[in-house]
Amino acid sequence: MDKPPLALDPNFSGGTEDFPALLRRKGFLQVAPEPVVGSGSHSFVQTESTTILAFKFGGGVLVAGDRRATAGNTVVYDRADKVLEIDRHSIMAIAGVPATAWEMARVLEHSFQYFRRTQLQEMSVDGKVRALSKLLRDNFGFVMQGVGVVVPIFATYDGNSKPEARLYFYDAMGAQFEVTDYAATGSGSPAVRGILYYENHWGLKKLQDLDEDEAVAIALRALDTAAEADTSTGGVDRSGKIFPLIKIVSGEGITTLPEERIAQVFKHSVA
Amino acid sequence: MIEEPYRWVEAIANRREYIETQLAQGSPIAAVGYRDGILFVTLGRARQKIFEIYDRIAMGAIGHPGDIERLRLAAIELASTEGFTRSAADVSLRRLAHYSLSPVMKTAFEQVYGPPYLARLLFAEIGSSPKEDLFLRIDYDGAIAADGGPAVQSRQRFAVLGGTRQSADLMEAFLKNEHVTDAELPDALNQALDAWSVGRMAMGENAIKDLPERAAIRKYRDEQLGTAGIEAAMLERDTSSAIRYRTLADAEVRQRVRD
Repeated sequence: MDKPPLALDPNFSGGTEDFPALLRRKGFLQVAPEPVVGSGSHSFVQTESTTILAFKFGGGVLVAGDRRATAGNTVVYDRADKVLEIDRHSIMAIAGVPATAWEMARVLEHSFQYFRRTQLQEMSVDGKVRALSKLLRDNFGFVMQGVGVVVPIFATYDGNSKPEARLYFYDAMGAQFEVTDYAATGSGSPAVRGILYYENHWGLKKLQDLDEDEAVAIALRALDTAAEADTSTGGVDRSGKIFPLIKIVSGEGITTLPEERIAQVFKHSVA
Repeated sequence: MIEEPYRWVEAIANRREYIETQLAQGSPIAAVGYRDGILFVTLGRARQKIFEIYDRIAMGAIGHPGDIERLRLAAIELASTEGFTRSAADVSLRRLAHYSLSPVMKTAFEQVYGPPYLARLLFAEIGSSPKEDLFLRIDYDGAIAADGGPAVQSRQRFAVLGGTRQSADLMEAFLKNEHVTDAELPDALNQALDAWSVGRMAMGENAIKDLPERAAIRKYRDEQLGTAGIEAAMLERDTSSAIRYRTLADAEVRQRVRD
């Protein structure tokens, strides 16, 4: 027998169910078709046209993303937010198909709150990391159809066991990788990875030791470099005064850097 | 036997009596509006009784833990799916109570072969201004009592939940005299703790019938505070976060009341 559709059905308690399962039961979350097994010829186009990056520095984790959204060769939007706050201490930065990515962020945000409200305790960092992994895995059927690929970065602050910032990147199938220093995804990421590797090994300071101004400068330089060769990455739009979105996760929570401050660092260290 | 109308009425009356007996031992809950929001306070020894339902909605409950849990989960589920498919601004306590919880509780109560919900619920929803705040109580039979809403002219901006009628009535009478709408948090905590004490004094064998003297309330309150833990939570009006619910730890409440 199907599960009763009503939360108030006297024989049903939803207490053990997670939020995506609840949405599916109510028909609010589309279930992806199972990926076809054994058809090795399947190839999907990676359409992660953007650049996002994150690295740990002295003041926590910095997460930055350019603002350009593209459809094929066309720039459709130049103020897209790809660095999204999920809760007080967690950021999901997205590369991939915006519709799926934003929906995923929304599901994730509600999942954490739903868990806290129903279970009367905060979800652990491992639980949160795994929740995103599960969403990606559930979405993989769409990816195999050529729609809906999402490759996110997840940055959070673990206030519980050993207070520290934690940073993860994912692949499209949902595998999660914790990194110690930096992560970058999207079409412009090879250049960014090169820069961050270089800075971390042979720069004046290790990334972990940078102060906020230095960290912002490196993030801007990296995005500018990515935009130089990648048409899908907006970088810094000097005429339109559109700057990348930069957020910082620390023990105190999340701060979004105001545009004036980014402009200031840009003028001083990048332009 | 239930086919005959008067039998049904009799069965319902018995059921009402049974539920009232079950609820009579419930520790009261006071919810008061203060300068920066709405405060829920109760004292207890075991179970949590004040809960977060959604960004702007909190719930206090007395009754059977299993029933409270079912209603709480249902409320969270309804609010969460609404907030997800539409937006957080579309989640409304009025709709949650009137369209979902009340009809179901009424039906369960009146179907005399099935189990009723042994629970009494107190909700509050914080608006963008005190005028938009809503206090709402749903009883086990689905009856709703609300403070707030478009048709209400004079607002009291507090609400209580008691195990017995007498306990709730005396708490209300107390707060009618004592409650100050724009009190600061320590004063609001004081009012709520006093109101709780009045409600608790009106229960059990030596239940009071009239409002006690202030000194008697304080004496009783201090005795209770010596053995029971304080559970408090608030809905804050002006915070940068969308989530307005925040719990106050026992020690924090005691600290603030003392200051």
